[in-house]
Amino acid sequence: MTALVAVETVVLALVVVLLTGLLRSHATILRRLHELGAGVDADGIGSQANRPRIPGPARGRPASGPAHDLGGLDRSDGAVALRVAGAAHDTLLVFLSSGCSTCQVWWEALSDPDLALPTSTRLVVVTRDKAEELPSLLAEVLPPRVHLVQSTQAWLDYGVPGSPYAVLVDGPAGRVQGEGTAATFAQVLSLLARSADDAVAIDAELLAAGIRPGDPSLHLPPDLTGVASGAGAGQSSEASSSAAGRGA
Amino acid sequence: MRIEAQGITVDLPPQWEGAIFQRPAVEPGPAVTAPAATASRAAAASRGADTDVQAEQFHPVTHLATFPLPRDRGDFGSGAVERMSPDDVFVAVLEYGPECAGTALFQATSLPRFTHANFGPNQLQRVIRGQAGSQAWCTVEGRAFGIYAVLGSANRAAALVPRVNSVLAAVTIRPR
Repeated sequence: MTALVAVETVVLALVVVLLTGLLRSHATILRRLHELGAGVDADGIGSQANRPRIPGPARGRPASGPAHDLGGLDRSDGAVALRVAGAAHDTLLVFLSSGCSTCQVWWEALSDPDLALPTSTRLVVVTRDKAEELPSLLAEVLPPRVHLVQSTQAWLDYGVPGSPYAVLVDGPAGRVQGEGTAATFAQVLSLLARSADDAVAIDAELLAAGIRPGDPSLHLPPDLTGVASGAGAGQSSEASSSAAGRGA
Repeated sequence: MRIEAQGITVDLPPQWEGAIFQRPAVEPGPAVTAPAATASRAAAASRGADTDVQAEQFHPVTHLATFPLPRDRGDFGSGAVERMSPDDVFVAVLEYGPECAGTALFQATSLPRFTHANFGPNQLQRVIRGQAGSQAWCTVEGRAFGIYAVLGSANRAAALVPRVNSVLAAVTIRPR
């Protein structure tokens, strides 16, 4: 009898271990699916979380990091320094590589003379230093009328994980406004246009609430604005820079 | 931020951007037709380059500005100065051929410091309403340079001329 109880206890323990493992595996699968956007959103269709957007920065990085000026070589190997942080204009930094096959459609899109960028946004293509690129290939794919800065330091400054990658900098605020990658450059432009529309809507809401550009409440640190953390803090920062930088 | 090329170094003051470049030599022939290149050829000619039969040899050009420099621009800032606001400043430091070094026009031995009196609309390469320009020449470390400065507004010279001088003070030239 004692032996039977002992066997049953061991079997039960094994079943518990197996069940725990299965549940953990299931939870991991669900979490990964959610990260890939396959989860079901409790807020329903049309919520902010379900809108297409450029993938955000890698984990562990701030949602809106500081901007950095650009310094490096231009297309003819001259020295160039472009102002990004604190500039009156926004800058769209497009990080590309000469030998990257995924970048080809971006290079082709950038050759379009009718490239539709938001007003007051300067487009700059950033490759790694000359020693890390294929100069002859770069000369072939580089569109004639875009700024080029060859600077590995810029890749490090902006924490670029790979190419192609786009970073939009809010010049007046001196902060990164958005970053990520997309299958085509047209998708990036579409998201930029949507972002600009959102900024106008945010400005309108702030003005309706009596908050005008330069209002002290726009410049409080995130922990003093009443917004707890996470996405809320990011939205607060975006609204602040939008209203303060562009006005209405 | 610092830019350095062709024996020229500029420690850019805050709010400035800049570029140091040298256009590639152009073989004689009718192939070059782009406006910026044409302007560059004219500028090169005015700086002593032989534009008749020999290949054109260009010299280093330094552009410094308080506004976003467009990619395509002439040596004297055509294509850029049209975009200046009244609060902006543009400075071009243009090297001339070695035959110019130490000649009468280039007898000054250091980069200039401008005063309000140096600026006027009639010194602009291309007259743009409201703007004022000035030019000076010098020989530094055996190299001949022309300095061309543009103020976004002649009426704001008192505030803008010190900015021109501050960026010129940040330029260092080494011998060839």
